[in-house]
Amino acid sequence: MSQTDFTRPECQKATGFEGCAPLISLKGITKRFGKVVANNDISLDLYPGRIKALLGENGAGKSTLMSMLAGRFRPDEGYIEVDGKRVDFSNSKDAIKAGVGMVYQHFMLVDTMTVAQNVLLGQEGGFFVNPKEMEERVRKLAEDYELEIDPSAKVSTLSMGEKQRVEILKLLYRESRVLIFDEPTAVLTPREAFRLFEALWAMTRQGKSVVFISHKLEEVMAIADEVAILRRGNIDAEVSRDKITSKADLACRMVGKEVILEVDKEDVEIGDKVLEVKDMTGIGLRDINLEVRKGEVVAIVGVAGNGQQELVEGVCGMRKPPKDKIFIMGKPWRKFFAEMTWNNSMSYIPEDRLDLATARNLDLVDNLLLSTRQGFSAGPLLQHDKAAKVAEELVEEYDVRPGRIRALAWQLSGGNLQKMVLARELYRQPHLIVAEQPTQGLDISATEEVWNRLLEARKMAGVLLVTGDLGEALQLADRVAVMYCGQIMDEFSVNDKEKVDSIGLLMAGVRE
Amino acid sequence: MLGYRLQKRDEPWNWGVPIVIVGALVLSFGISALLLELQGKSAVQGLLVLWQGSFGASWALEDALLKSIPIFLCALGVATAFRMQVWNIGAEGQFALGAIGATWAALTFPDLPGIVLMPLMFICAAIFGAFWAYIPAILRLKLQVNEIISTLMLNYIAILLLEYLVFGAWKDPASFGFPVTPEFTPGAIIGQIGDSRLHWGFAVCVGSGIAMWAFMRFTRLGFEIKVAGEGERIAMYSRLPYGMLTILVMAISGALAGWAGCIEASATINRLQPSIMVGYGYTAIVVAWLARLHPLYIGISAYLLAALRVGVENMQLELQTPASFGSIMEGLILMSVLAGQMFVTYKIVKKK
Repeated sequence: MSQTDFTRPECQKATGFEGCAPLISLKGITKRFGKVVANNDISLDLYPGRIKALLGENGAGKSTLMSMLAGRFRPDEGYIEVDGKRVDFSNSKDAIKAGVGMVYQHFMLVDTMTVAQNVLLGQEGGFFVNPKEMEERVRKLAEDYELEIDPSAKVSTLSMGEKQRVEILKLLYRESRVLIFDEPTAVLTPREAFRLFEALWAMTRQGKSVVFISHKLEEVMAIADEVAILRRGNIDAEVSRDKITSKADLACRMVGKEVILEVDKEDVEIGDKVLEVKDMTGIGLRDINLEVRKGEVVAIVGVAGNGQQELVEGVCGMRKPPKDKIFIMGKPWRKFFAEMTWNNSMSYIPEDRLDLATARNLDLVDNLLLSTRQGFSAGPLLQHDKAAKVAEELVEEYDVRPGRIRALAWQLSGGNLQKMVLARELYRQPHLIVAEQPTQGLDISATEEVWNRLLEARKMAGVLLVTGDLGEALQLADRVAVMYCGQIMDEFSVNDKEKVDSIGLLMAGVRE
Repeated sequence: MLGYRLQKRDEPWNWGVPIVIVGALVLSFGISALLLELQGKSAVQGLLVLWQGSFGASWALEDALLKSIPIFLCALGVATAFRMQVWNIGAEGQFALGAIGATWAALTFPDLPGIVLMPLMFICAAIFGAFWAYIPAILRLKLQVNEIISTLMLNYIAILLLEYLVFGAWKDPASFGFPVTPEFTPGAIIGQIGDSRLHWGFAVCVGSGIAMWAFMRFTRLGFEIKVAGEGERIAMYSRLPYGMLTILVMAISGALAGWAGCIEASATINRLQPSIMVGYGYTAIVVAWLARLHPLYIGISAYLLAALRVGVENMQLELQTPASFGSIMEGLILMSVLAGQMFVTYKIVKKK
């Protein structure tokens, strides 16, 4: 793998910053969105000359934390210290003034202007700036940090990597001392990524502090000085790079395996095949073979972004897979979806509860009708009364709070909304259930409820569970398949101790 | 700003909606009064004349009711499209095509009895209007052309097409060169209700208003339109035929505007002439928003904006205000209502 060559050469080491006080300290930061705790009592120190990698699954709270550092949100509890002094950012301007800058995944540049103009845009100074001088200043700055770019080029002609360099230059020009990169390599080619790393090293040599958000393990291994791992809103571990022995070690630390909850799993009779994927290559996936039978739970685990989403979307009809590769309940994909009925069919419980599984501005009755409306049709008419009665029953049975069926989807907390989605999808009596991160962001009691319901559902259906939480996979699944780079690395029973212990390695793309 | 900031409300401020609308109306009338003063006219007298012209006499009430008929139908149409977040700004053009369709039927089969000819005119108007709305729908679905722009531009094409016909092929030889078609035969003219000036087009409004309300409320298709308005991803998750629904709402929208054109040509001017285009299609957008897309409220706000038009005409006569004063007021009302809707989802709190 060429990507693993990114190790930091000795000459790139930043020296002379040992024992420096932290530039920025986060002190006991807590941020809640409704009942969900996105960040829980997080403390973190950022030192000059060091690269701190922030690692975590989607929804672990990385973006929330960094948005507070960049002044976009305010913490509910805790505070930020700059150079040992407490500060209070009320907007991103304050943060920039304090020397904190963020490079987002989506660039904010004026396409029709030159690189130099973009860098100086919005800067104080004379009204008329000599273009030559502007370009000279930017050229000088770029050279200092080994960012190769032509200051007179139009932004619209640049590659993604070059545009990113312009964003970085903007921050450097504003004399940012802490630079936060939100998954910066997602838009880059491997070569460009390596050049970005060289620039990051150059920044640390000049005493800047870099925060690198990613879930690409090899990059973190290659460039970080220390790694902070976020799980469920908590800092799970903060370790120095030297303490991490391998990618697999890092993967294990990231997904964790500690048991937060145990559920009883009774045996259920295994029935017919409800999902079969045969040698599928395409839509970002390679050689996928997968089988789910009625009565079993098959878990797909892996670091986010390794093809799980593509697989789920392919199976659930959100994108078109290649012909005759996916069979649902014995029918080829196209035939299945053409003939699909509302019940005794397939249910999809997506990761995105609001705005995909439910419509935020509709009430619970309408949201129930979203995927069951065919069941409440009488000719061209829709039986709202009957639907309201069923909604009432489901709300009662699943204890969805607040217990009003006229509540709008967005007014429900994540856990209650998920219960409603689950109630609806199980009401459809599916034979195949695809559940994507079904307990992400839920508290323990809601998690337990969702787990029990899914296990209960095995009596009528086969379950394909996609999760970033290894504990969840091991608790629920009969079989586990590990995905890496769009492939299934291996698939085995959860009782196969030896294989289960190798999940970390498999997730990192290592086959023994 | 100034120690205050906006904060999102936990629940939408539903009972604040009437307050917001009344506040917006007061604000826009206030600004209009100011504009009158700037022209050196008495604002008090101006608003009084406006009131007189709108509600002060039976002829005014009747006039407003007549004008509200085409406005109501166009607004009902655009509201259907708006509910699905398809921004049909083209009621004006669809109205023109409807008038053309009805006129074609009326001029081609002048001798048919009314009982046959009248339905034929409505069918033609609906088809022509729907076709005009179908073009931007297809452009949006196949080529991702923004429908706001395409519907708006098609308005101008429709008006030119209407003028082309009236100045050319359909010009009445006995019109002394005026750009008008021959007058419709009695079978092609919608009759009055009793001995009032009100015509049976009003019944069409009531009927289609109730039908649309029932369609949206009770049918599965109506529900699917509502869901599709929540976004394309949710539509996909719910397995809705999003493209088909887009075409459907645009066609309904166009057909209703087409009917408005048909009724205007048949009942009001009894022929086709360029002066049929007075911007009802644009007023309809204001009406639909004021009514928050609800058919009953569309009826009310259509009447109010029609009354405004009548009142402004009165002002033009008595105070010599410019003709565009009505459009200015309409625009003010729309802008302030839209801006006021911010208060339904946000509240202003003092900065801590």
